[in-house]
Amino acid sequence: MTLLTTMMERPLDAGYQEAADRRVAAGLPGATSTRTVLVVVLAILTGFLFAVAAQSLRPKPTAAAAVKKELVTRIEALQKHGTDQEAKVAALGKQVRDYEALALQQSGGTDLTSTIKDLEVQAGAVPLTGPGLTLTLDDAASTDAGADAGSRPSSGFQEGRVTSGDLQIIVNGLWGAGAEAISINGHRLSSTAAIRFAGQAIIVDFRPLSRPYVITALGDSQGMQQLFEPSFAGLYLSQLTDEYKIRSIMAGSDSLTVPGDSAVRLEVAEPVGPPVGSTAPGATTLQQGTTAPKRSAGAGVAPTGTGTSTTRSPSDTPSGTTDSGTGSPASPTSQENPS
Amino acid sequence: MIPVLGLLAGLAVGLFLDPSVPVWLQPYLPIAVIAALDAVFGAIRAILDGIFNDKVFVVSFLSNVVVAAFIVFLGDQLGVGSQLSTGVVVVLGVRIFSNVASIRRHLFKA
Repeated sequence: MTLLTTMMERPLDAGYQEAADRRVAAGLPGATSTRTVLVVVLAILTGFLFAVAAQSLRPKPTAAAAVKKELVTRIEALQKHGTDQEAKVAALGKQVRDYEALALQQSGGTDLTSTIKDLEVQAGAVPLTGPGLTLTLDDAASTDAGADAGSRPSSGFQEGRVTSGDLQIIVNGLWGAGAEAISINGHRLSSTAAIRFAGQAIIVDFRPLSRPYVITALGDSQGMQQLFEPSFAGLYLSQLTDEYKIRSIMAGSDSLTVPGDSAVRLEVAEPVGPPVGSTAPGATTLQQGTTAPKRSAGAGVAPTGTGTSTTRSPSDTPSGTTDSGTGSPASPTSQENPS
Repeated sequence: MIPVLGLLAGLAVGLFLDPSVPVWLQPYLPIAVIAALDAVFGAIRAILDGIFNDKVFVVSFLSNVVVAAFIVFLGDQLGVGSQLSTGVVVVLGVRIFSNVASIRRHLFKA
């Protein structure tokens, strides 16, 4: 108890009082100045001590956090790089197509421009604008806790989440309802694009998506809506909304744009014989493309090969030779569509 | 006023230099800070009481820090480091509180 009493009632060092008493006895004022060198030095030392302690005791970023930060920076930089390169590819692709058109014109052969244009549209190589529907899907509100846009849980399946299977069924339904071109979150679905999943992330054409998922489908918006809603995919979507509270908004619009698929590349090229040149319609070329034996060589991986090419070989035929091995606009995911 | 400037200068130097504290010293740092705070508040109270003495301040400061660090060191060696740290923090905390209360009475007369 003595200890506690001393501590509580006389917290000041007894030394102060004794020193003051001695000074008073010696005829000096009880207190010394606070401006002595000793005090200032000690004050500086105290400040230094506080600063050092505060800094060194603050929770430090661990090595793992540093690595993570580094990785995030690198991913962001590479994503930006990828986006830039995609834009470059799109610009260069347009340039190439312009040159191709010019070369075709100059070669004086059969005018294939309209055929090429038609096939490019079907292959998804060029951006398209027109009326259509936008269908916005988002995870159920109950999964929002701890999930910012773009983040995903480390493990476990939550039934309120949109899965790649949902997107596949809905996209198939849209194709079935007469969509002419579809993009998800700005990624064009060409005939080789696949909707897949990796962990919890939905991947379209090898690019991960983050929620919300905006599906843009060009076509007759009224007609598509009428066909889509009673179809299997439409019922599936309403089930998702009712059962799992997955949010979906469908809206028609007069002017929507889907970008071209920058990943379209030449897979097969073969000379167009004179009969094809003379019977220009795209359907003929298309059929030739699908029956040509060479196709399997390049397009073995893809269910329906895509490639729009214009190769110019003066020795071959008088005209620039053109072939477009192009699938129907339907993507592989649309092949089992119900309607 | 000059000691306050000195304190700020010390803070600035510490923040600016950001020296790395050796690992063996790190367990004693929080206790040393508490002990230093106790000495500083004691000195402020002594100033207000009119009995400040620079030598007493310096000696009490250094002894506070050293003794606090020593107690923690001893506790670590005996395997009761965290309990002894708590004890030191309680004692010094109580002293700081009563000194601050006294300072408050001096400054605000309340």
